[in-house]
Amino acid sequence: MTKRNIILGLAGAIVATVIIAWTVWNALDADAVDFNTEVKPILNKKCITCHGGVKREGDFSLLFRTEALAKAKSGKAAIVPGDAGSSEMIRRLHLSDPEERMPYKKEPLSKREIEILTQWINQGAPWGDHWAYVPVQTPAIPRVPVWGQNAIDGYIDEKLRENGLTAEPQAPARTLLRRASLDLIGLPPDAELKKSFLSDTTAYEQLVDQLLASPHYGERWAAMWMDVARYADTKGYERDDSRTIWRYRDWLIRAFNRDMPYNQFITEQLAGDLLDNPTDDQYIATAFHRNTLTNDEGGTDNEEFRTAAVLDRVNTTWEGLMGTTFACVQCHSHPYDPFRHEEYYQFMAFFNNTRDEDTEAEYPLLRHFKQEDSTAVHALKNWVEKNISSAKAKEVYTFVKTWQPSINSIQADRFINSELTDTKWLIFRNHAVCRLPGVDLTHKNKLIYRYSSWLNDGTWKIYLDSVGGKLLKSVAVVNTQHQWQIVEFTFPEQTGVHDLYFTYVNPNLKKPDDSGMIFDWFYFTDAWADAHPTVKKEFWRLVRQEPETTPVMIENPAAMQRSTHVFERGNWLVKGEAVTPGVPASLVALPSGAPANRLGLAQWMTDPQHPLVARTIVNRVWEQLFGVGLAETLEDLGTQGIAPTHPELLDYLAWQLVHTHKWSLKKLIREIVTSATYRQASRVSDEKQTKDPLNVYLSRAPRVRLSAEQVRDQALAVTGLLSKKMYGPSVMPYQPKGIWLSPWNGKDWEKSHGEDQHRRGLYTYWKRSAPYPSMMTFDGTSREVCTTRRIRTNTPLQALVTLNDSVYVEAARHLAQQLVQQFPKAEDQLAQAYEQVTGQPVTPAKQEVLMALYRKKSPGAVAGNFQKVAHRKPDTDALELVVMALLNLDEVLTKN
Amino acid sequence: MNDLEHLTRRYFLKECAMGLGGLAVGTLFGGCNSTTGTLPLLRANPLAPRPPQFLPKAKSVIYLHMAGAPSQLELFDYKPELHKLDGQDCPPSLLEGKKFAFIRGVPKMLGPQATFKQYGQSGTWVSNYLPHFSSIVDEVTILKAVQTDQFNHGPAQLLMHTGSARLGRPSMGAWVTYGLGSENQNLPGFVVLTSGGRDPDAGKSVWGSGFLPSVYQGVQCRSEGDPVLFINNPEGVTREDRQHSIEAINHLNQITHRETGDPEILSRMAQYEMAFRMQISVPEVMNINDEPDYIHQMYGTQPGKTSLANNILLARKLVEKGVRFIQVFDWGWDSHGTDANLAIDIGFINKCRSVDKAMTALILDLKQRGLLDETLVIWGGEFGRTPMAENREGKANPFKGRDHHTEAFSIWMAGGGIKKGVTFGETDEIGYSGIKGKVTPYDIQATVLNQLGFDHEKLTYEFQGRPFRLTDVHGHVIHDIIA
Repeated sequence: MTKRNIILGLAGAIVATVIIAWTVWNALDADAVDFNTEVKPILNKKCITCHGGVKREGDFSLLFRTEALAKAKSGKAAIVPGDAGSSEMIRRLHLSDPEERMPYKKEPLSKREIEILTQWINQGAPWGDHWAYVPVQTPAIPRVPVWGQNAIDGYIDEKLRENGLTAEPQAPARTLLRRASLDLIGLPPDAELKKSFLSDTTAYEQLVDQLLASPHYGERWAAMWMDVARYADTKGYERDDSRTIWRYRDWLIRAFNRDMPYNQFITEQLAGDLLDNPTDDQYIATAFHRNTLTNDEGGTDNEEFRTAAVLDRVNTTWEGLMGTTFACVQCHSHPYDPFRHEEYYQFMAFFNNTRDEDTEAEYPLLRHFKQEDSTAVHALKNWVEKNISSAKAKEVYTFVKTWQPSINSIQADRFINSELTDTKWLIFRNHAVCRLPGVDLTHKNKLIYRYSSWLNDGTWKIYLDSVGGKLLKSVAVVNTQHQWQIVEFTFPEQTGVHDLYFTYVNPNLKKPDDSGMIFDWFYFTDAWADAHPTVKKEFWRLVRQEPETTPVMIENPAAMQRSTHVFERGNWLVKGEAVTPGVPASLVALPSGAPANRLGLAQWMTDPQHPLVARTIVNRVWEQLFGVGLAETLEDLGTQGIAPTHPELLDYLAWQLVHTHKWSLKKLIREIVTSATYRQASRVSDEKQTKDPLNVYLSRAPRVRLSAEQVRDQALAVTGLLSKKMYGPSVMPYQPKGIWLSPWNGKDWEKSHGEDQHRRGLYTYWKRSAPYPSMMTFDGTSREVCTTRRIRTNTPLQALVTLNDSVYVEAARHLAQQLVQQFPKAEDQLAQAYEQVTGQPVTPAKQEVLMALYRKKSPGAVAGNFQKVAHRKPDTDALELVVMALLNLDEVLTKN
Repeated sequence: MNDLEHLTRRYFLKECAMGLGGLAVGTLFGGCNSTTGTLPLLRANPLAPRPPQFLPKAKSVIYLHMAGAPSQLELFDYKPELHKLDGQDCPPSLLEGKKFAFIRGVPKMLGPQATFKQYGQSGTWVSNYLPHFSSIVDEVTILKAVQTDQFNHGPAQLLMHTGSARLGRPSMGAWVTYGLGSENQNLPGFVVLTSGGRDPDAGKSVWGSGFLPSVYQGVQCRSEGDPVLFINNPEGVTREDRQHSIEAINHLNQITHRETGDPEILSRMAQYEMAFRMQISVPEVMNINDEPDYIHQMYGTQPGKTSLANNILLARKLVEKGVRFIQVFDWGWDSHGTDANLAIDIGFINKCRSVDKAMTALILDLKQRGLLDETLVIWGGEFGRTPMAENREGKANPFKGRDHHTEAFSIWMAGGGIKKGVTFGETDEIGYSGIKGKVTPYDIQATVLNQLGFDHEKLTYEFQGRPFRLTDVHGHVIHDIIA
């Protein structure tokens, strides 16, 4: 060989080596297994049921990386990072004996699945954090495409092009107008708006701004939130008595209308009562979590249902505000997602110290004083602040406004000749004895209490620590003639926490079964007012008022704190280790300095780094506008949920909400509805039917059936019957007889009068055990639990509602009667009806169909020939029938 | 291929992790990860009839629920020992560590208020409160050791019918309708009939759809007013008018369909046509006046009023028309002894009288029409009643009554492949607790599904990331009572 050949040969060898190494390196890179999209789905589907949060067979769990890499019961490591050959898990996948092979007694994994797991382990078994648990990063914002309006279109454009699709051109003006109006304010556009937009005096962006500024915007979005909040006008369960909580709905409407930043929106609802000097509105906001059910069924355990309400608060906070199926963790660690069993109870500890205890009265209640008295309350507070102390002022104010913190009489125990009557109130018979445990009497010498008695001559005695202990007070019980009264007495000041023993005797009670007095609550305080008779008189005048109320959240004072324990296997009767308030380790930590209560929790949730809160709300807003969320399962953004179709877009919007829009929902909505994606036409070509049948890529605007509230509101609005009256107590539009039949509850549906019959759907009285039927038929919910999204259905019962429910008949009649006054000719009446109901001008073909129907009903009615007859107006009958038909058209029931 | 089929196939092949395998009928349940769209086949027509997982014995279910909980000690569970203890203080062993709804302190034992005899070839014990029923004991299985863990009406009824004592889950009827669809496309697949003057304590959620699409909820058919809400046309609108309206509506919808290409429009058009048909078929089936006199005699019906007997007869008619799941709730069985209506020896006897003839007639009537073998009938309450007399708030009640009892009650089942003339399960000497053959509401649910051709562990729906089922994580089919 020549020297030249050797050099060439060497060069060739080097090049070859480089090429081979490069190829191998590339191949390895190309084979890099992604944990989240390739490994975790296999684990979730095939392994984690037995080796995860619920069960840990062989002491091996795949829920957390540390667990997965630890030695199992056998002493072997299931996973040895970098060495699939030594990994017991991989060995088991290859076996043929179903007793030994994994998955245990199930079909073996496919070859491909085993390959993936093997490669993954060889690559070091890198774990991946699920996308939804990683804080949103600064997004890489795409270019706005040629057809687009903003960045949203850039994200949409990417996927469209990937799938060989193009966007539809903008929808026609009339369609877009109606769509935006229904989406933003839940109503079709009124005549003024139509005129200004269609005549081009208003540009689309201006239209959007006008709609966002409308007071009806708040109503439409409050209706959405009421599902999350499980708002209802009754308490639930057997008796399902009414509950006055409509002020919470008013609060929602106002909050949305003034575009309360979402972080503040959540904070006030979770912890309004814990803010500094909370206003009435901030208390009312906390009614969000007082929408839980109260069980008045006789014989129910109050603690059982107090606990059920607290669990529901935890579950609702996670499902509604963080798109997470945390409810699963009540009984065991989460099957799929990184949440441990004890973390459920650490979270529950935030909610476990409120004053509500499943009482019949639903304490604590915010008392809504009338104007002059409200001023008087503030005057009283100011006086106490000036003359006694700030702290005392706060205490007095809270008591006057809420009668808290009082001890409910259901806390009594160790009954002799006494009990909790109907499990609701402490009641005494002759020679009664009972105990009120654990009362903090430090600096207390005054008891204010609410009671009722129907006899004279009763004596109630209070003893310290035991029946034979120190007599604190002997009370000659005043007969209140069965009326509830609030009274007081002074006793010698004590210190420390004591059990109090009560006795009662009454010589008038001859029979052992007869009772003499009953208690509601006890409030231990000091005699601060005794030296100031005028102030004291005013204080008592206000305390004894019984104005309207709203259930709110009030935190337990230090003396009434409950400890929170893990419930073994989720059973509230089996308490395990005690826990303190905390958040799951797999998400962000509590901000430093955050208090260990709901306010601290709210700070955690509104931390810009929190991965779930912003994503959940933008996903929900997207679902409201497009019919389906970017992540379809609004309630589950975890590993079992449906992955978002456009994850970068979801993160972009979440980023925008927090950083650019500063938590403004209106700004977020504006950005979405001004996008070209939103403004597209909704036509589905054959090609798109094939390539994108479910409109996953948003290759056109979606056609979505209207919600239950919108179906009703629209029919009333287009026919001129809608009352635009806002706020106030819930109303009762017509409902057939015999729907309300709750046991032990004599109440009935009482139809509202006047314009209250034709209010917007969100004001309809919502009874949990017998919800308004038309709402339920159109996929409404009973609001017994948090509902994150309504599953749309299409049923003949819906047809029956819009064909035959009297509100639609009334609406049709109303419109028909107007039209016969405005237009002499039937053709014109029908054309106007069509335009008014659908928002589109009628076409000759459609007019022909309508005329044919008209003629069939009124064969004698030829165009131009109508008679003014007092009762029977055959022409109105025919017109009515046509209008009723119009209210049932698909294009009317659907947002186009 | 029409639009709807087109939609279905593409969705499965593209979206569903199960791929081609997902097209198999058996895996339609709990296969894919998607919730709304899990079963686009069902989105097209959610009530389309479809076969169960294996060959069923029963095609329909009639569940007669006596809300309030009838006393098993006065009907089926004969306890002569309890008779001997009548009036004595309840021993502490029966009270220690137990919780009761209303009993406080030490109650007295209450002997059976009815007299019992054995009947039929099976020698089944039945009390004199059910004279007619005693004649058909050879057709039924009686479960005597049913137990629950709920002693309040609302949660107990929810547990019995939705598999959870808390709200939010679909009812049995909703699960069945989800699994089987509806045979008769002109009637709802799941019908509910109520009597007794009140709704069940758990409210309408006890026939609700929970997290299943609302199309599966029970449809309440009423004896007064519209048989189904809004079934009747408004005043002035004739049947003909309605036909013309729907024709016009659908004609216009056709035009919209051409303009937009949205397949959902076709579905809506189909719903309107079905609504039209239901306007005839529902009133027709709900009308019992056309039944022959001997049927009215047999059932003891009261045409023109609302009554349990009327509802039971209606249930038979609905079964004949292919309705799969009929639930009949009657209120008023809560014999606490707080007043005469709720006295074991007064009001309770009247309640028994109101159902005895009718439930007997139902079995005989189904039998004579050859329908009993494929119709599963269930009768019972949500829990039992205590062997002790209730002493609410520690005082004697004005009348004789029993408190709610979780540890033992009786339910009977007949037809649909259930054994005939059998008693399964036993309670202790005084009927306090089951000692053999104990079953829970979950077991009953599993058995009902089994007779309909479903493995209760495999009829699932993806929700909150996991496959839910009626029995959740519990339940065993009661094989001993299956023929």
